[in-house]
Amino acid sequence: MSKDSQMRAAINQKLIEMGERERLKELMRAKLVECGWKDQLKAHCKDVIIEKGLEHVTVEDLVTEVTPKGRALVPDSVKKELLQRIRAFLA
Amino acid sequence: MSPAGCSHVNGYKVENWKQNLRVIYQCFVWSGTAETRRRKAKSCICHMCGAHLNRLHSCLYCVFFGCFTKKHIHEHAKSKRHNLAIDLLYGGIYCFVCQDYIYDKDMEQIAKEEQRKAWKFAVPNLLTYTTWEPTKRELELLRHNPKRRKITTNCTIGLRGLINLGNTCFMNCIVQALTHTPLLRDFFLSDRHKCEMQSNSCLVCEMSQLFQEFYSGHRSPHIPFRLLHLVWTHARHLAGYEQQDAHEFLIAALDVLHRHWDDNGKKANNPNHCNCIIDQIFTGGLQSDVTCQVCHGVSTTIDPFWDISLDLPGSSTPFWPLSPGGDGSTVNGESHMTGPTTLTDCLRRFTRPEHLGSSAKIKCGGCHSYQESTKQLTMKKLPIVACFHLKRFEHSAKLRRKITTYVSFPLELDMTPFMASSKESRMNGQYQQTVDILNNDNKYSLFAVVNHQGTLESGHYTSFIRQHKDQWFKCDDAIITKASIKDVLDSEGYLLFYHKQFLEYE
Repeated sequence: MSKDSQMRAAINQKLIEMGERERLKELMRAKLVECGWKDQLKAHCKDVIIEKGLEHVTVEDLVTEVTPKGRALVPDSVKKELLQRIRAFLA
Repeated sequence: MSPAGCSHVNGYKVENWKQNLRVIYQCFVWSGTAETRRRKAKSCICHMCGAHLNRLHSCLYCVFFGCFTKKHIHEHAKSKRHNLAIDLLYGGIYCFVCQDYIYDKDMEQIAKEEQRKAWKFAVPNLLTYTTWEPTKRELELLRHNPKRRKITTNCTIGLRGLINLGNTCFMNCIVQALTHTPLLRDFFLSDRHKCEMQSNSCLVCEMSQLFQEFYSGHRSPHIPFRLLHLVWTHARHLAGYEQQDAHEFLIAALDVLHRHWDDNGKKANNPNHCNCIIDQIFTGGLQSDVTCQVCHGVSTTIDPFWDISLDLPGSSTPFWPLSPGGDGSTVNGESHMTGPTTLTDCLRRFTRPEHLGSSAKIKCGGCHSYQESTKQLTMKKLPIVACFHLKRFEHSAKLRRKITTYVSFPLELDMTPFMASSKESRMNGQYQQTVDILNNDNKYSLFAVVNHQGTLESGHYTSFIRQHKDQWFKCDDAIITKASIKDVLDSEGYLLFYHKQFLEYE
């Protein structure tokens, strides 16, 4: 494992142990709801389901279709804030 | 994707499977205690590549963790013929034969229970409420009662005029404000009042009836004779055909509703813990701090309130005495020096420190003697519905008159500067931090305005109420007309009703 992924794993471990990961998840959830991200993606999911047909669509289909859009639509302000929180936690 | 699950889980559901599944949820999905969290942190990595991301899944048949994205768990499933895995992020069960997530009722039940348990331990402050799902009985009821009311933007359900029974406009406008208080409306329309009063004179029952009338869809004005009779019976000082004060009626009505809430004595035993809807919606806490000018000791009391009565400029008490430390800072985007008086000005005056003067010395607990002091009011706890009463009727020894000074009030109001907590942080030198975006607790929206036209001797009450977020209507006894936001904000304003914008679970 590269140094980078080693460090990632170590940070992740610490976050989980201290329960901070859950708190960050909740914070992010709230922020993404507020900025309308959740609604945008929900609408996109509905479109995908209609396109593929309700009886045939799988979770995989949704994940493949929705993930890139979801990643792109996260506002910079949310990213910044979470990064700040993580930095503060590690300090 | 069928909600009935798939048949392949039957191979898993043998022996002690429920307990095994619970353990997996507790240890690897929703780790509640510190110990399980540590274990999760250490062991939840892919057995093939060591990564902890990539949608890690755990095999349900053996101890194997594998990435989903990199298909490591798929390889394991194929080679070992273990066709069920669980998503460690969200707890979903994946069936490799069906090639999709499956939703087995028993497994879902276990998942829900374990999630709730973990939340209780892990982070007690966060919301632990799940979305509502109808029970069997509720589904049955919905099927047997297929008639649905559809609310469109133009529908006027909930709007109804009230006949004036002889100077009863003071009662009519308060009824309009109460029937358009969202929480109160939701409470009564969901039939939550179970009357335990023996006689027929329960005002809460009558309120319930009133809501039924308003939301019945009838467009003819309602004749509230029963309500009037009950009011006369229970609030004698309001009886008679003379014009009464709408504010007095509001307080009397809230008081009677509060008293009638629970008539079988539960309240008598525990007056401080009343759980009636009136207390839940209207009761706030007003903090009064008296500071001794000598030893600077502070004596604090907190009193409940249903409304805030605000003095106006033009009354016999001066509006802006030169108080020490008065600053020209802006609050709610307004400065008090220019333009008409605003509601915020009145609130600032209400919460300013007031020197009590040498003729009103208070006994100081610290100094053990009578000293001069200052008194300051702030909001300790805000009610869900805040009612502001502009004191337009002056009944001093010298004169009885109506103060018609225009006071401008906003559609959206932030009560943060008037809170006891804000005052404390100001005193401690903390700058008012950019309010944490998750704390929207002090923001209010206007939803009803009661106005008085005329003089002290003869006048008429009307009200504006808000429907569907941005539609306003003027209620003049039996006549309801559409109004613009400008009409509302230009009106004189006597009673202003604000509703919290964001509601939270206790």
